[in-house]
Amino acid sequence: MSANELIANLDKLGDEFLSVIQPLSDEQAIRAAQAQFLGKKGKVSEVMKELSKLPPADRPLVGAAVNKVKQTIEEQVCRRLGELTALAAKADLARVVDVTLPARPVPQGHLHLLTQVRLEAVQIFSELGFVVADGPQIETDWHTFEALAIPKDHPARDMQDTFYLSEEIVLRTHTSPVQVRTMLTQAPPIRIVAPGHVYRRDDDPTHSPMFTQIEGLAVDEGLSFADLKGVLIHFVSRFFQKELTVRLRPSYFPFVEPGAEVDMQCSFCGGSGCRLCKGTGWVEIGGAGVVDPDVFAHCKIDSEKYTGFAFGMGLERMAMLRHGVNDIKFYYEGDVRFLEQF
Amino acid sequence: MKVLWSWLLELCDLDKQPTVEEGAKALTRGGLEIEGMTDLGAGFSGVVVAEVVGRKPHPQAEKLTLVDVITEKGGAATQVVCGAPNVPDPGRKVLWAQIGATLPGGMTLAAKPVKGIVSPGMLCAEDELGLGDDHGGIIVLPEDDRTALGAKAQVALGLDDWMLEVNAPANRGDVLGHLGVARELVAMLRGKIVLPDVDLSAFVGGDGAVPMVDIANAASCPRYTARLITKLQVRPSPQRIAQRLRGVGVRPISNLVDVTNYVMFELGQPLHAFDAETLSAGTVRISHAADGEKFTTLDKIHRTLIPGDLVIRDGEKGIALAGVMGGLDTEVTDKTTRVLLESASFQPLLIRRTARRLGLHSEASHRFERGVDPELAQLASDRAARLMCQHGGGEIASRLVDAYPQKRTSPTLTVRMARVRMVGGVPLETSTCRDALERLGFTVGGSGEVLDVTPPSARADVAREVDVIEEILRVVGYEQVPSSLPILRQAPGNRPADRADVVRKALAAAGLSEAITYGFQSVERNGALGLPGSDRRSQPIAVRNPMSIDQAVMRTSLLPNLIAAVTRNASHGRHDVAICEVGSVFLRRGEGSVDRPLHELADEPTWCAGVLSGKRGGQLGAGTAWDAFDAKGYAQIAIRAVAGDVEIKTRATQSVPCFHPGVAGELVVGGHVVGWFGEVHPEVRRRLGVEAPVFAFDLDLTRLRLMDPAQMRSIPRFPGSTRDVSLLLAASMPASRIEEVIAAVGEPLVNQVRLLEDYRDPKLGEGMKSMLWSILYRSPERTLTDVEVDKAHEAIVGRLMENLPAQRR
Ligand SMILES: [Zn+2]
Repeated sequence: MSANELIANLDKLGDEFLSVIQPLSDEQAIRAAQAQFLGKKGKVSEVMKELSKLPPADRPLVGAAVNKVKQTIEEQVCRRLGELTALAAKADLARVVDVTLPARPVPQGHLHLLTQVRLEAVQIFSELGFVVADGPQIETDWHTFEALAIPKDHPARDMQDTFYLSEEIVLRTHTSPVQVRTMLTQAPPIRIVAPGHVYRRDDDPTHSPMFTQIEGLAVDEGLSFADLKGVLIHFVSRFFQKELTVRLRPSYFPFVEPGAEVDMQCSFCGGSGCRLCKGTGWVEIGGAGVVDPDVFAHCKIDSEKYTGFAFGMGLERMAMLRHGVNDIKFYYEGDVRFLEQF
Repeated sequence: MKVLWSWLLELCDLDKQPTVEEGAKALTRGGLEIEGMTDLGAGFSGVVVAEVVGRKPHPQAEKLTLVDVITEKGGAATQVVCGAPNVPDPGRKVLWAQIGATLPGGMTLAAKPVKGIVSPGMLCAEDELGLGDDHGGIIVLPEDDRTALGAKAQVALGLDDWMLEVNAPANRGDVLGHLGVARELVAMLRGKIVLPDVDLSAFVGGDGAVPMVDIANAASCPRYTARLITKLQVRPSPQRIAQRLRGVGVRPISNLVDVTNYVMFELGQPLHAFDAETLSAGTVRISHAADGEKFTTLDKIHRTLIPGDLVIRDGEKGIALAGVMGGLDTEVTDKTTRVLLESASFQPLLIRRTARRLGLHSEASHRFERGVDPELAQLASDRAARLMCQHGGGEIASRLVDAYPQKRTSPTLTVRMARVRMVGGVPLETSTCRDALERLGFTVGGSGEVLDVTPPSARADVAREVDVIEEILRVVGYEQVPSSLPILRQAPGNRPADRADVVRKALAAAGLSEAITYGFQSVERNGALGLPGSDRRSQPIAVRNPMSIDQAVMRTSLLPNLIAAVTRNASHGRHDVAICEVGSVFLRRGEGSVDRPLHELADEPTWCAGVLSGKRGGQLGAGTAWDAFDAKGYAQIAIRAVAGDVEIKTRATQSVPCFHPGVAGELVVGGHVVGWFGEVHPEVRRRLGVEAPVFAFDLDLTRLRLMDPAQMRSIPRFPGSTRDVSLLLAASMPASRIEEVIAAVGEPLVNQVRLLEDYRDPKLGEGMKSMLWSILYRSPERTLTDVEVDKAHEAIVGRLMENLPAQRR
């Protein structure tokens, strides 16, 4: 074969390769075709074998043609692969999924509403320097009543109908025994909050035989009734996330003097009167007062040097006011339809 | 306590006449919370006072009368048809329900013909106005009634009034009568008290027989007064007294009994009237009961007394249980003409104990329990004597016999103004404080910075400086106290994070919902776990006075309530439940049975339990059933939330009766069993009402050491290499055994051991299984060579072959 014939054959091979790979649509087949042309026993190599038969002067010309066809084939492979990638990307983007199908449920747990409210209340009081304290739910009569100036046979015991476990052991009716336990073991200054379960013989839509109180106690030099008021106003405003005021109404709790019932400006109507506050603009949230000197005496604290204030609130009530829970029984039934709402 | 607004106003002269709303507000502001207000006249409307000016029989009906009435003097008469037998003579007043009137029960009157004659409304009987059950005849007002013609019937009936419900604090026995409430009103609104009429001069007469009074123990009975009233006649009380009693919730009986009640509500002093004819000894003695003494109270119940009870005696014979209830034999009857009137005070504690022990709670005992001022006895006796004579035609046969061994004197209290300002946090002037106390009837001496304050005798609750401070603040008004935020000094030390909350948060984050259940439960529910008698948890602490059997004992495990919650959820169609609870359980200290009395506090360890039933949610109705390994996973999360990244070992156990014997594991941390997981025993869940399988875990969190703040471990810098080994083993071989053998080799390059397959197939041979384990080898210092890894792996496989009946597959 002459040099010219060889060059013509090589050009044809270039065209032939193009027609071979154009219909191919996967990379493996394209690479196989490439090998068929450019491999050791490929068609281009076949042509190369003829090269040695040519006069040396013709060889560079044919050599250049070989390189050209190799380059063409490689370019074609590249081009065709690029085309295929673009096609695949386009095809992928043509996928359509019904995104309105429901989500696959991810496990979602819920802290009990009362836990959430308790953690938040503790957080608010802790910003004012109060730390958490606790005590047993099964308490002595002494810690629950006697030390809080409620001796046996005191009419105030009627206010809190008590579950007795024995003559001297009760289910605590309030978290106030934690005050006593703290004052007996810690010297002033004291500031604690004590959240916990308490028990009273009471059962209706607003009373549960077990419920949750949060108790606060501060003892230091120079604490006054005005400080109590300030702490309570701070708390309700933070908890309800709006500026609310607090009204203290004279009331009687044997372990505080002066003692007060704590009313909060109705968080629902802001004080103009609604069903929640029975039109009064105020809702009752707990009891409070200045620690009675008799309680200090039981706890060996000098009531001339120190004064203190204490308050107690029901967490179920706070949660009810903020979240509209309309029956206290929901808190304790383990009904997931309730638990999963918060 | 119920009080009537008109009655309160009668007992005070206020500077400015308040409306009832203003009055209620003022009382509440001062600490007497008004819990409710009722318009006593709200039951009917459109009924007016009319005068009868003529009457004649109905032409068509014998029993009917045509009554001419007028509603203004000289006005035109209207003819009303009346069926009552007691139509009065002209000149008397009746109550005419006119057309359009509404009566209790909601009926509205229209003109309607009665036997051919149209009647414009009707004349009313008591029952038609909801005043009583008397339908014997129409209401005829007393001859001396001064209500204007045409006025609302409420005015004539004493119903133009409000009943206020006062929530009296437990330490304020003095406000259990209208007089005490009036004192509060005077203090809050300024004014003065007007005592009721006690003038007896018109009724003095009689036979001069003076009873003797002998108090055995002055501490039990500080004062006892007695007075004889004779020539009485029992009859119904006048309308005004009867209506006031009804208004405060007491049924009128007869003039004598009603007066004792009336004066009790007016002044707060309980009184007792004995029929003097039944008394013989001439000496009234007050002494304690003999142990086992018998006494019949006027409710006809025979009672056995104890020495703590105080008895009023006629000579030796008991005639009343002091302060609680009178005796049957000496009760006032319709025939009574002579009354011995008791007005006394007793030691509150005695009365409270007797009333409680016998379950006899009366209006009298309620007041005596809270303390009745001995100084009130004479005023009340005089007042009752006057009313009895006035309405019963009697006369006072003897002067008041007054046994009052030691006159009560109020203490004089030193009140420092500096202390007032410090406790109140409000800069009050001395003059303001003095004024506040004087408005309450306190006597105030001294001046400047120290006051000498003497409370009135009725205010025995004011005994200390701080009590006076409260009085000052409540009269001045708590709203006058400013609010301030105290500068709180930093508390020494802080409490570590609460393990219970740490676990709650971890489990919620992992998908469980937190429940909170009661601390008590029924005996049956507590026993549902089937724990053996040797387990402390089978000996719950009993509540002595539970409200229901569902709250009979303190819980010793969290599981029963949680499993029962599965039932509750299933009952309204929720079968997929995954909940947990973290809280106290209550255990007796030491050995003991349910019946052993509790002399000490209980152990209250914090436990954490969870139950899983049904499926966890999947997309489009899919979902995987919960199983024991989910329970295990949650248990591990809870343990690690408290104890950090500790090693948790699992051992199969058959010794926990609340779990399925073949699907239960105990969790071991640091050599201690800290809890269990598995499938709840089918019998246990059935006892608690659950049909479907329930998986659970139960952990004693107090057995875990709360971790110190977690320390970061270095992140591996070099890649590891994995080698697998497939083993043919006896099907009973626990996975933990293979882990133990691998761990025992102690190969430091072993980084992680994972079980990829636990495959059971009869083709493997009878009782055999295949397990595929994958071990990751890694060095923190370099990339391992294949030779190193293979060598380590072969050593481990060799050990497995050596130590176990196992074949490599
Ligand atoms: Zn409101």
